[in-house]
Amino acid sequence: MTELFAAALFVFVLVTALATAALRDVLGVVVVFAAYSLGTALFYAFLLAPDVAMTEAAIGAGVTTLLLLLTLAKTVRPTPDQWLERPNLPALAVFGALFVVLVATVVEFPAVGEPGVMWDNPGVTQYYIENAYEDTGVENAVTAVLAGYRGFDTFGEAVVVFSAGIASLIVLRQVVFTRE
Amino acid sequence: MLETLANRYTYVLFALLLVVGLYMVVASSNLVKKIIGLNIFQTGLFLFFVTTAFVDGGSSPVIPKEADAGAAFASPLPQVLVLTAIVVGVALTAVALALVIRIYDAYGTLDEKTLREVRTDE
Repeated sequence: MTELFAAALFVFVLVTALATAALRDVLGVVVVFAAYSLGTALFYAFLLAPDVAMTEAAIGAGVTTLLLLLTLAKTVRPTPDQWLERPNLPALAVFGALFVVLVATVVEFPAVGEPGVMWDNPGVTQYYIENAYEDTGVENAVTAVLAGYRGFDTFGEAVVVFSAGIASLIVLRQVVFTRE
Repeated sequence: MLETLANRYTYVLFALLLVVGLYMVVASSNLVKKIIGLNIFQTGLFLFFVTTAFVDGGSSPVIPKEADAGAAFASPLPQVLVLTAIVVGVALTAVALALVIRIYDAYGTLDEKTLREVRTDE
């Protein structure tokens, strides 16, 4: 049953990703990309990362789609002369080769979900799992690490988001304020 | 060989998403589609990180007060890194799209090839 679910998710995410690359109409691409984000969010939830899944569903499928649609509204949606993109053969060849290299690397990894191979580092992961509640009083270890142990990293993230907001305002100042 | 790949299906999907994302960045002539390609590349990497945290038969990293000593949990650390990366990624997308709007305002096109022609005519 879980295998079937995983296979369905795999196919859904892959097909939507390929559709975003192949479709020519930009609005269609944005809509398919929203579905793709939702698919990846489900995938994260399936891989025991509910916090990541919620963030992806809210930000990937929600905010990013909104930003893309706003951009289309402010700019242009070119009327497609054909339904699908024409394949770019040199790029296909290069990235096909890259895929072969990546898969050759991936084969050497431990199998998905094999316990205690990749992140079995008692110094960090086990420490968080064993002491998160005592140290921070939060049962959710992800929240404990995000806001407690690595609070300064989260502060840095907030600084990045703030600077991005300022940068967008500076870039868009002329477009938004002088025309209206 | 096929079984080896089936046991590593999320890593295979990670490789596929990286390639599709990069292909879009290079091959699409529309600037908005390039940015969407960048986002797909990103989610491929997130999938890799989340997979490294995953433990078969474990539970999500919400640890009850009285946890059994032997219970397996997904690692919280890669998940936190991905959470941060998602938020930074959307900030990046926002700046990129602002630049796209500005480019359209200045040149009246979002097509890479037309842009190049307009720029050489100047």
